[in-house]
Amino acid sequence: MNAPNQLVLKREKEGAAKLAVFFVALSAALVGTYAGIGVDKVLTHHYDFWFCVILGGLGWAFRSVGGNKPVIVAATLLSCFIMLTFYQAPLLRYLILAALLFAMGVYGMCRQRNAVRVLMSIELMLNAVNINLIAFSKYVDPGQLKGQLFAIFILTVAAAEAAVGLAIVLSLYRNTSTVDMDRFNLLKW
Amino acid sequence: MLGSLLAAPIVETWLFYLFATMAIVLAVGVLVDRVVIRSGFILIGVFGSIAALFLLLSAQFLALAQVMIYAVAITLVIVIALMLTNPRMEDDTIVEKAERMAGPAQFFLSVKQGFPLWVSVIIFSTIYVALTGEKRWPVSTEPVAQDVVKVLGEQLTTTYAIPFEFASVLLLAALMGAIMLAKNEKKEVEPTSSEDQKAEENLALSR
Repeated sequence: MNAPNQLVLKREKEGAAKLAVFFVALSAALVGTYAGIGVDKVLTHHYDFWFCVILGGLGWAFRSVGGNKPVIVAATLLSCFIMLTFYQAPLLRYLILAALLFAMGVYGMCRQRNAVRVLMSIELMLNAVNINLIAFSKYVDPGQLKGQLFAIFILTVAAAEAAVGLAIVLSLYRNTSTVDMDRFNLLKW
Repeated sequence: MLGSLLAAPIVETWLFYLFATMAIVLAVGVLVDRVVIRSGFILIGVFGSIAALFLLLSAQFLALAQVMIYAVAITLVIVIALMLTNPRMEDDTIVEKAERMAGPAQFFLSVKQGFPLWVSVIIFSTIYVALTGEKRWPVSTEPVAQDVVKVLGEQLTTTYAIPFEFASVLLLAALMGAIMLAKNEKKEVEPTSSEDQKAEENLALSR
C-alpha cells in the first residue's frame, strides 16, 4: 500500500475541519430554534408530530432500499400532511399546507443546480406565501380582505422577479454557456 | 345553490384535501423530475391546484389572476428560457469521495450532503410547532364580503393608492430591465468572419 502523500492528507484535514464547523453550526441552529418554544412542550403535546417523524424515517428507509423514489417521497409527505392537519381548524390546515409547500421550495432552491429550476422553486415559495395571506383574509379579516390586497402586490412582484431573473439567466448563459449554479462564481473571493 | 353546497364544511374539507393532494404530489414531481422541461410543465398543475384552493377560500379574482399570471405567463417565460438555455446537466449531484474517511466522518458527510433536506425539515417543523402551539388566531365568523372585486378595487384606489402606483413603476422598471438584460448586443462584424460567427451563434442556440 502506498503512503498517502501530503496533499491528500492536508485536504482530508481541511474537510474534517469544515465538517466539524458545519455540525456545530447545525446543532447551534437547532438548539437556538427550539429553546424559545420549549422542548418539553413539543415532546409532550405533539404525539402526531413524533409519529410523523417516525413515518418520515420509514419513508427514508424505503427510499434508501430502492423502488420508485418520487412515489415514496410523495406518499410519505402526503400521509404526514393528512395526519398533521386532520384534527386542526380550517385556517390551520391552509397554513400547514403553505408551510409544507414553502419547505419544499426551500429544499429545491438549495438543492437544484440548474438556475431555471431554482427560479421555479422560488415561484413555489411565493405561491405558498399567497396561500397564507388569502387564508388569513378569509378567516381573520373577511370584511376588508387586506390579505388579498397583499397577495395582489406579491403577484406583481413575482411577475417582475420572474422576468428579470430569467433575463439574467439568459444573459449569463450567453456569456458562460452554462446554467449551472456552481459555475457562477464570478464574485467569489 | 352551488355556493351553499361549497359552503358546507364537509364538502369544503374534501375539496381542500383533493386540491392539497394535487398540489403536494405535483410539487414533488417538479422537484424530483429529471427532465427540466417536464417539471416546468408540471408547475402549471401546481399553480392550477393552488388557484382552486383560492376559489375555496372565496378569492375568485385572485384565482383567475393566479391562472393568468402564474399558470400561463410565468410558466411560459420559464419554458422559453429552458428552450433558449441548455437544460441537460451532466450530473445532478456532486458526490464527494467518502471512502477514505473514517466512520464518524462518513456519517457527518452524509448529514452535510443532505443539508437542504435538513434545512427544509427544520423550517417546516418550526413553523408547524409555532402554528399549533398558540391559540391566538382571532378567527372571525362573519361571512366574506359578497362583492370581492368591489372591495378590492375601492381599497386599491383609496387606501392603497400609493403602493399601487409603485407597483406599476416597478413593473415598468422590471420590463425595461428584462429587455435590456436579454437583448443581444450588436457586435461590429467584419465581413470576412460574419459567416463563422453566424455559424457559431446557430451552434450556441442549438446546443
